[in-house]
Amino acid sequence: MNDKFKDKFKEEASELIAELEQLVLRLDQNRSDSQIIEEVFRVMHSLKGGSAMFGFDLIDKLTHLLENIYDKIRNNELKINDDILEVTLNVVDHLRNLLEETPANRNELEKTNNKFIKWIEDILSARPKQTDPVNQGEENLNDYRPISTYYIAFYPSLDFFADGSNPLFLIDDLWQLGELIMYTDYQHIPSLQEIVPTNCYIGWKILIASRKGINDLMDVFIFVNNRTRVEVHKISETNLLISEPQRKILLETLQKKDVNTLEQLTTLARDLEKIQEEVEEKNQRRTTQTVQTGEQAISSIRVSSEKLDNLINWVSELVTIQAQLSLYAQQNHYPGLTPIAEEIEKITRRLRDDVFSIRLIPVANMLTRFQRLVRELSHNLNKEVVFETKGTETELDKNIIEMLADPIMHIIRNSMDHGIEDTAEERIRKGKSPQGKITFNAFYSGTNVYIQIIDDGRGIDLKKVKKKAIEKGLISHEAELSHKELLDLVFLPGFSTATNVTNLSGRGVGMDVVKRKIADLRGQVEIESQENVGTTVTIKLPLTLSIIDGLLVKIDNTHIVIPLNSVYKVFEYKHEYINNAINNLILADGNHIPHIYLRKYFEFTTPPPPIERVVTIEFNDYYMGITVDEIVGEYQAVLKPLGKFYKNQEFFSGATILGDGTVALVLDPNKLIEEYAKNEVKIG
Amino acid sequence: MKATKKTQAEEQSFSKNIQTYLSFRLDKETFAVNVHKVLNILELKPITKVPQSPPYMRGVINLRGNVLPVIDMRVKFGMEQIQATPDTCIIVLNVDINGEEVMLGILVDAVSEVLQIDEEKIEPSPSIGTRYKAEFIKGMWRDTEETFIMLLNIDLIFSTDEIITLQNKTEEAQEVKE
Repeated sequence: MNDKFKDKFKEEASELIAELEQLVLRLDQNRSDSQIIEEVFRVMHSLKGGSAMFGFDLIDKLTHLLENIYDKIRNNELKINDDILEVTLNVVDHLRNLLEETPANRNELEKTNNKFIKWIEDILSARPKQTDPVNQGEENLNDYRPISTYYIAFYPSLDFFADGSNPLFLIDDLWQLGELIMYTDYQHIPSLQEIVPTNCYIGWKILIASRKGINDLMDVFIFVNNRTRVEVHKISETNLLISEPQRKILLETLQKKDVNTLEQLTTLARDLEKIQEEVEEKNQRRTTQTVQTGEQAISSIRVSSEKLDNLINWVSELVTIQAQLSLYAQQNHYPGLTPIAEEIEKITRRLRDDVFSIRLIPVANMLTRFQRLVRELSHNLNKEVVFETKGTETELDKNIIEMLADPIMHIIRNSMDHGIEDTAEERIRKGKSPQGKITFNAFYSGTNVYIQIIDDGRGIDLKKVKKKAIEKGLISHEAELSHKELLDLVFLPGFSTATNVTNLSGRGVGMDVVKRKIADLRGQVEIESQENVGTTVTIKLPLTLSIIDGLLVKIDNTHIVIPLNSVYKVFEYKHEYINNAINNLILADGNHIPHIYLRKYFEFTTPPPPIERVVTIEFNDYYMGITVDEIVGEYQAVLKPLGKFYKNQEFFSGATILGDGTVALVLDPNKLIEEYAKNEVKIG
Repeated sequence: MKATKKTQAEEQSFSKNIQTYLSFRLDKETFAVNVHKVLNILELKPITKVPQSPPYMRGVINLRGNVLPVIDMRVKFGMEQIQATPDTCIIVLNVDINGEEVMLGILVDAVSEVLQIDEEKIEPSPSIGTRYKAEFIKGMWRDTEETFIMLLNIDLIFSTDEIITLQNKTEEAQEVKE
């Protein structure tokens, strides 16, 4: 009995831990949001309460201490900093281990626990020292000073270069102090005849958002000669450079000629401050709203995924039986049976759709670990990278989401490691923002879900790819490959372009594994890249794993289902035409299309029918025909695994039960074509 | 895994020395499997052949909404393929393949009878000169009519992908020499 409750607690605790992790990551983005801090506090409190009750004393101890930190933050005695976030995230990981506590690993866990306790105590005790101005570094003080916006007018004197000064160095110094936008003023450059090459005619108007005081900013210009005009004015107590549209407006004001820039800026600053206040208020209102809706969501109930799996199995069987009933009603004309069969078909379909939708969960559920990955890697690699997500409400089958996490982790790791440039300078030189960006984008299209991982890094060097492929003997020297074909090379096993093997990626187990894992989910992966613009990896997935719309075809007495989403068109030919086709090409819609003669490929020995059908399939941008005896019709196939005895028949993704109780095989056209191409023996 | 434990426990509690076996016929020979492995006996029904599979894999059938692989035991033992007769049956078994429980059907010429076999009367199969690899045969048992019945080690038989053929004999002979 006790164990049952304990398991229940574990389940709940791991959810709380996941929630905590998410909250901490949100806190990282939004460090002063008291609402999030309150939430963190609440989650930790429930975790503490439960763990004490069920004898997880290590968790109890640790969360209690951590709670102290957040209590202080709540009471404004402490400010969130990297150290606190770091320790919290590490504790989150550790808490997960603690849940799996056994007498055997207790000692080890206790040791780690004590390490964390010490860390937390350090944080707790270190802070009071801050009131002591001697121990406190200048930088720490700055951390607490709010960001202000300053206007700097910097007009070097004509002979500025004479003593070896360089105005650009000073502007570089300013970059270190905060975010800035600037306008370079060329209007004092004389006409070409009058120009003196050693004179400096250029001036700068700069807006900087910084935590530093006005004196720190003046200090940058401490060594310039006194003929140079330097003005520094504080125009706002807030960060005016916070959003892109605001920057644009401010930049426009800077560019205006022959006006009192300072005066204009101060009035504009007033307006912008007002707008910002309004926006903040609105945001706050919104967060309170979301908190409320969050509470309303309690009307949902928790069901074990095992029960859900059972439900789905039963519905799948019901779909099968219903197909049998429809077939029976069709063959036997009992009055009254047909409408009943039709009604049942309708209801079954709706039931099926509803039940399958239960298993769909939003992709947002897997984003936390990616956020953490990006955060950790940007630390380790010393690259500043923001992780953006779009379409997180897109829903996918729970099983797919679980199996998708690893491949996406790998893709993001690749983007972080190889994609994003090594230094901010390199990015600025290329005209990009110093911060790298990785975007996770999910959206629906038809019966598929697309997930894209987009980075704005240096892109894939195709020359390198080609060189590597030749080195590895994957392609020949003379091979002329298109842009896409070159990119596809990265999916080949044992291919990795990184010159240095790092501990993150580049071990040669790479995109081929990603591709295989996604293929296991009946998905496809594509890569698009432009040098210096970035790389986009697109994953295309079916909405659910267990049901597919298919085209039912027949060869001899064997029924085969071809997934409808890969079928393009169906053509009809006399057997002689197909038999005599030159170079295995048949004419369809005016195009010559190669085809796979399934009868032969699948070793059927019975005589072929006089008329055969060719189903054309879209495969990697070209068409391929699959020749069968007969088309039976459309069929909703409930996919059943073929089992381990048929693991070598990869061109079948499974089997399905037909209305008459026999088994039809479900074809995976992509695998079939790949396999066929591999085994093809060319003459000549 | 749970189920395996249960059957083992059952085996032990059932009896210390009397075991129940189901015997079946392949061509002229009689084999038997422990009934704990048997789930069901089915009449022959249409089997869907999966292309490009080994010859002993007859195909798949529908067993209450699940896809069940069917193995032609004659071919697996290196004999001629089974021709359908009214006696032809599919025995549904639950076998343990390298620690994983797998349901499968075996196609046999006929199911004979249920036997109560005293474990102590099981004779070991000689390792040389027999048709089948010793590890697949748990032992021999003589029934009242003095015919030998081979008790199969069914888990091991399906752990190998190969057809268990006469050729194994020469391998064994070589092993003995070495």
